[in-house]
Amino acid sequence: MTAVILHMLRRSTGAILGWGLSLALLGFYLMQFYDTLADQRAMIEQLISQYPPELMAFFGGGENAFSPQGYLSMEFFSIIPVVIGIYAILSGCSLLLGDEEAGILDLLLAHPISRSRFFLGRVAAIATALAVILGIVWIAFIGGVAVSEELNLSALELLRPFIALFALLFLFQSLSLFLSMILPSRSMAALVSGLLLVGSYFINALAGFDETVKKVSAYLPMKYYQSGYAVDGLNSDWLLRLFGAGLFFVALTWALFLRRDIRVSGEGSWRLPAWPRLRVQGRKST
Amino acid sequence: MEQNTAILTEGLVKNYGPVKALRGVNLEVRRGEIFGFLGPNGAGKTTTIRCLLDMIRPNGGTIRVLGLDPQRQSVQVRARAGYLPGELAFEGNMTVEAGLRYLASLRGGKVDWGFAHTLAKRLELDLKPQFKNLSKGNKQKFGLVQALMHQPELLLLDEPTAGLDPLMQREVLKLLHEMNRAGATIFFSSHIISEVEQVAARVGIIRQGLVVEIAETQALVKRALRRARVRFGKPAQAESLENVAGVKVLNTDGDTVHIQIEGEMDALLKALAKYTVCEFETERPSLEEIFLAYYADKEAQ
Repeated sequence: MTAVILHMLRRSTGAILGWGLSLALLGFYLMQFYDTLADQRAMIEQLISQYPPELMAFFGGGENAFSPQGYLSMEFFSIIPVVIGIYAILSGCSLLLGDEEAGILDLLLAHPISRSRFFLGRVAAIATALAVILGIVWIAFIGGVAVSEELNLSALELLRPFIALFALLFLFQSLSLFLSMILPSRSMAALVSGLLLVGSYFINALAGFDETVKKVSAYLPMKYYQSGYAVDGLNSDWLLRLFGAGLFFVALTWALFLRRDIRVSGEGSWRLPAWPRLRVQGRKST
Repeated sequence: MEQNTAILTEGLVKNYGPVKALRGVNLEVRRGEIFGFLGPNGAGKTTTIRCLLDMIRPNGGTIRVLGLDPQRQSVQVRARAGYLPGELAFEGNMTVEAGLRYLASLRGGKVDWGFAHTLAKRLELDLKPQFKNLSKGNKQKFGLVQALMHQPELLLLDEPTAGLDPLMQREVLKLLHEMNRAGATIFFSSHIISEVEQVAARVGIIRQGLVVEIAETQALVKRALRRARVRFGKPAQAESLENVAGVKVLNTDGDTVHIQIEGEMDALLKALAKYTVCEFETERPSLEEIFLAYYADKEAQ
């Protein structure tokens, strides 16, 4: 299993560095921006107060949008799950299906490694890669706070929103992994996972304005994501729900992978019924 | 299961939805033999091989590989087997050497690296390029090295010489002979009859998911049709060949006669000896022709 983990991590090096360093740069930059904004706080607060609350909700701003927690949420942690969610989803749905569609899985699984070890090794590797990306960004945040005069947050305080973010992303990673096992292609799994991620973000943003939407949002993962407000302390109940759901999808996928026929050259593949095409063909034939 | 059986399948069934890929495959491969597995595209060769390694799960029947159940003891089976897929794919950015080392690590490092290098040298495989930059032939060599490098007891090879030039094909067959002499059982699929004839002691023919014949290779080839072209010294005497056992005249063109021969050629050669023959060419039967001859017989029966 160690060989599988190390190999996957080596394979993810480019993605880890690319995502990690670019987000780290963004985070460091945003930290410096806080000091500049602090000088014009009164004016900006007055401006923000005139924005429609629906708009502020989309940017994760609340009543205390100018506190360090509010600022981190509004500028980084509210939107970043959608951004780095792309990586989480692509890494999840490519984990097994990418190599299967490329025909590589056939060769790898001809080697004396059990499917369980292979699967768990790969899951551990992509979860580790995600954690390393967030770790790089966290270090940049620590550096940013050290340089900033206005942001007084400890490394531990800064770590908490990253833990909340990791829990949310792990859930989407495992969800996309699960979808890749039940949908006909990797691209379809990525599409559905992406729609769920973005849909969850929008519904959660609008939840404060409509009771029905609020009820729906309770079933979506974004509801249990604390964003930058986790600086004040982690909600362990929400965290457990996110990790629990993530592990549930991992377990489901594991069970499916153990029973799966490894495809090669489209062998045993299937497609969703293309009813519009069938209807058109039906019309032509009649 | 007898001690001397390497592969045994009984009533092996595999369906892909409504498609019946295997419809009850019965097969026995003895330990230490080279067994050729023949069949047209889509007949079920690859599906059978992949069932043996537990890549896909059959819907019915039993399988034993080296006395083990591949579904329950898949790791043990794979530890003792080497596999060359029909369509080899690998991570494009890895060099050949890094790729082989990674695959060796999946075997717990139980690979004699000196032997792997010897194989690569014999097959003229450069270890430095990235996999994505390899030609089809070199990709096939990579596949062969990874299948053989741990010196397995059983080799499952799907079209082992595909994409190789004739000299390299000969080298691969020589290598397989050597592995076989060292005790390995070799089970391989192929479309090239001369190759099968050269190395396999026995062959199995699969068609539409059923093994329709298992025979000694020589017996199968003898049964096959051959085509010949005879150019006589004077206008063709086709009628003189029509009564020769196993010979059928296909057409006559001036002094040239095209014929089809079934079985031994002895009677034909004796018949031709009475005439002036300027040219005599025979064509090896293609696998397809062997199938056609075989199925024509079956249908006639």
